[in-house]
Amino acid sequence: MGESKSGSVMVVGGGIAGIQASLDLSGLGYQVYLIEKAGSIGGVMAKLDKTFPTNDCAI
Amino acid sequence: MGNFAAKVRRQPRYIDLDLCTGCGICADYCPIVMGDAYRENLALTKAPHRDYVQAVPASFYIDPEKCLFHSHEMCRICVSACQARAINLYEQEEMLDLNVGAVILAPGFGRISEEVLSRYGYGRLADVVTGVEFELLTSASGPTMGNIIRPSDGEHPHGIAFLQCIGTRDVSCGNGYCSSVCCMYAIKEAIVAKEHAPDLESSIFYMDMRTQGKEFDYARQRAKEKGIRFVRSRVGGVQAKGKSLEISYVDEAGKHLKEDFDMVVLPEGLESPPAAQVLAEASGIELNHYDFCSTLPFSPLKTTRAGIFVAGAFQGPKDVPESVTDASGAAALAAEVLKEARGTEVEAKTYPAEIDIEGEPRIGVFVCSCGTNIGGVVDVQSVADYAATLDNVVYSDTNLYSCAQNTQEEITETIKENRLNRVVVAACTPRTHEPLFQETIKDAGLNRCLFEMANIRDHCSWVHAMVPEAATEKSKDLIRMAVAKARGLQPLPEQKLPVTQKALVIGGGIAGMTAALNVAGQGFECILVEESKALGGNLKRMRSTLTGDDPKQLFQDTETKIRSHPLIQVHTEASVEDVSGYVGNFITSIRTNGSSESVEHGVVVVATGGKPYEPTQYLYGKSGQVVTQGELEERLTKVEGAKGINDIVMIQCVGSRGEDLSYCSKVCCGQAVRNALKILEINPSAHITVLYRDMRTYGFMEDYYQLAREKGVMFIHFDKDDPPEVTEKEGSIQVEFLDKIMGERVVLEPDLLALSVGIVPSRSEALSKMLKTPLTSDGFFLEAHPKLRPVEFSVEGVYLCGLAHGPKPISESVAQATAAAGKACIPMAKGYVTVEPIVSFVDTATCIGCGICEALCPYSAIRMIKVGKRKKAETISASCKGCGICAAHCPSLSILMGGFTNEQILSQIKALMG
Amino acid sequence: MVRESFEPKIVGFLCNWCCYAAADSAGVARFQYPPNIRAIRIMCTGRMDPLFIISAFSVGADGVFVGG
Repeated sequence: MGESKSGSVMVVGGGIAGIQASLDLSGLGYQVYLIEKAGSIGGVMAKLDKTFPTNDCAI
Repeated sequence: MGNFAAKVRRQPRYIDLDLCTGCGICADYCPIVMGDAYRENLALTKAPHRDYVQAVPASFYIDPEKCLFHSHEMCRICVSACQARAINLYEQEEMLDLNVGAVILAPGFGRISEEVLSRYGYGRLADVVTGVEFELLTSASGPTMGNIIRPSDGEHPHGIAFLQCIGTRDVSCGNGYCSSVCCMYAIKEAIVAKEHAPDLESSIFYMDMRTQGKEFDYARQRAKEKGIRFVRSRVGGVQAKGKSLEISYVDEAGKHLKEDFDMVVLPEGLESPPAAQVLAEASGIELNHYDFCSTLPFSPLKTTRAGIFVAGAFQGPKDVPESVTDASGAAALAAEVLKEARGTEVEAKTYPAEIDIEGEPRIGVFVCSCGTNIGGVVDVQSVADYAATLDNVVYSDTNLYSCAQNTQEEITETIKENRLNRVVVAACTPRTHEPLFQETIKDAGLNRCLFEMANIRDHCSWVHAMVPEAATEKSKDLIRMAVAKARGLQPLPEQKLPVTQKALVIGGGIAGMTAALNVAGQGFECILVEESKALGGNLKRMRSTLTGDDPKQLFQDTETKIRSHPLIQVHTEASVEDVSGYVGNFITSIRTNGSSESVEHGVVVVATGGKPYEPTQYLYGKSGQVVTQGELEERLTKVEGAKGINDIVMIQCVGSRGEDLSYCSKVCCGQAVRNALKILEINPSAHITVLYRDMRTYGFMEDYYQLAREKGVMFIHFDKDDPPEVTEKEGSIQVEFLDKIMGERVVLEPDLLALSVGIVPSRSEALSKMLKTPLTSDGFFLEAHPKLRPVEFSVEGVYLCGLAHGPKPISESVAQATAAAGKACIPMAKGYVTVEPIVSFVDTATCIGCGICEALCPYSAIRMIKVGKRKKAETISASCKGCGICAAHCPSLSILMGGFTNEQILSQIKALMG
Repeated sequence: MVRESFEPKIVGFLCNWCCYAAADSAGVARFQYPPNIRAIRIMCTGRMDPLFIISAFSVGADGVFVGG
């Protein structure tokens, strides 16, 4: 095609993985489109109270 | 690749993201009460809602399925209730066309179906709950505010049973794999429950306790010490028995037992995400036989389509740290593909030149009503009038919504018109809104540090709603204190320090090589330092993998790429002698063949690896019949290697989990299964017995474990306190152990005994000191945060991957190395590191050079330098986090904290009484 | 004789990352508590200098709360 590459990335899913990927991509100089089907990002981790093994707060 | 067209369907929220202030009045007025899906329907919510108060975006949205307007074309109460006029019930779905260079798929995981859960009484018995439901019951922000109660009668349960492997490691429901997280979250919930109610007795019924993650076995041990009971068993079913639940199970000795509990928790496994098929079709990628994303073991983040990457549980069931690692790795891979286009679609904002603020402070105070959030309680007009009477305040007024776009513009104009040189906004919390207002004053030509907030919403109107007069008085106090601080505010420069665009990777194993290749692939120079003569590390010794992929090929391919990459400089037989500097500007001395070379670089990736544990037990080294799994692996590369061995015994956890090494080495169970299968391939009639503590073939590895069992490999469990005994009699070895099912001690005389030895870290004390990166008690490097910052250190600019972090298989090392490389490229891609103006500043004129600050700084952000003949402290601004420990301990008061000077804080205190 | 109720004035030094955030969350959750505290935000309780506590009392504060 010979087209130039786009400087943006689409991230599908706004859980902890999607959020982290988006943050890193933006830090690396790319425009990010974060797509999430729910009303807010956070995914399952936002539902958790604590995390193993340190029992730190998950939010 | 590099150019994808994506179609995205955007569902309407019916509430404008930018206009909504999150006040919640719409929900107060909405007549529709519905189950709160976010809280697993254990609580109620309204049709307009947000999932939780900290939700991002913070705006509410309307569930059209329940909304009366959408179902019956009536009501619309919320529209008139909303003061911000943010609600539009006619909003339509939108189709977006996106052009993107790469795609990262991170759709997460799905939940086990209720049909499978119902086998354990779920749905039929009220006191059988899922793990996520139980998590909400223990959560302080959950529906019961952390009060653990039985759903059936609201009473406190005393005995709780956790049943493991629900909908996972279960071929009958199609999920043969291990979900890798349930053991951990069950233990966590049991511990949390015990903390809430000390009289609560939890029993965890499990097959293998798979706490193979870093530091996880310690948590399991702590759980045991706290009185959590672990029962190795298979559970048959759950029945109602009066008010309690009866569990029937088979214990290790094969005995059928029954036991009563008040509550049963099903910490269910993870399934492929519900959208897997649709997503696969839309994006043109393939799925594996469990409908998770199909990837290759040596490139775990690449889907079957170039330019599309995967992160998180869609790649395979996994915990938070691995998901976060994958995410950083996938971002790094996308960045590698798009390196030419970096920065092309992001714009840098420009600001007017900063105006001089010489002379008297001219303070402007903006008091926010926040709709009725503040104005409904606090008399904002009288507060604004009061503020106008304070010294140096030349402007004071109220705003309906200070954060609204139009108000921002008004504030900018007001600053210019009134020549304001300090701004106080009395509204919500600076933690969320300070950056926004700082931008606003920057637009008016003021340095962003000339700004202060008074939190009269979160800390006042919201929490003193019943006492409006007192809240108004408190608001006045808070504003007076903020104005007092504002008087002393000074502009602080926004420091930008240049970053040397070169990375140093320490360690040339698979992790180091992978990291170097990604760094170079993103267009940055990279120095790779390896201690030994050749690259490859442990990978060079590996001959086969469970999945049948060839480690030798991986090594050769990777080494060729490294050697031929113009941006990678390899130093073998080299070691790091000294490191100085900070993120962006490190200077490292590398010693090669007796001579030292000094290199400048911006970032460091630590990939110093580990090595196999060298056993002394079980007659290793004394009998030729005793080998390690690694040695057996080498032998099995040739068909002759398996000849003459018909009876093989393998012993797991040799040296690991409480012997010489206290941790689990994560890879040995997989190695044993792989060697067992390999032997059977060559010699199908071989008898193989594996003596194990817990078989930890997590994730899709479980398939191979099941295959080995089907092929007749005997797996026999032993306890830590009763390990097998190995003796030699007349030149041949004997292995004796307790077979619990038979209830007797068994003696085998194998031809070969293979020991599954763990992984020990490389000696890293010296490097740890040089980089100021701590080690765990086990000698592995300690990351910044076990869940959320798994490849970073608390020292900025230094990153971690591979066995140096902890034992792990190749695929996880590759993912982690890619992640570390991606993180390392962030400061290099920016080209500079910004220093927040809150950092400390040492006044060298008064500093006495005592060094207390240097010793106390948790971020190694202060160093002692020579000024003339005297020692003085100096802040390394790039590393400073602004905590102020140094300032509080400085005996000569020589340290200033940006925006939090002694004078500023003291003037706030002095303004307390008005 | 009716004794006037004592309404102390308390200065709170709250760490930006935890206690100040917690006070924000209390607001978001609409927890109601008495209006006697005036919060001063600091970036870490490591910043606490004994001077702050002494001067708070010297200007008339009835109590000092350090949260971090």
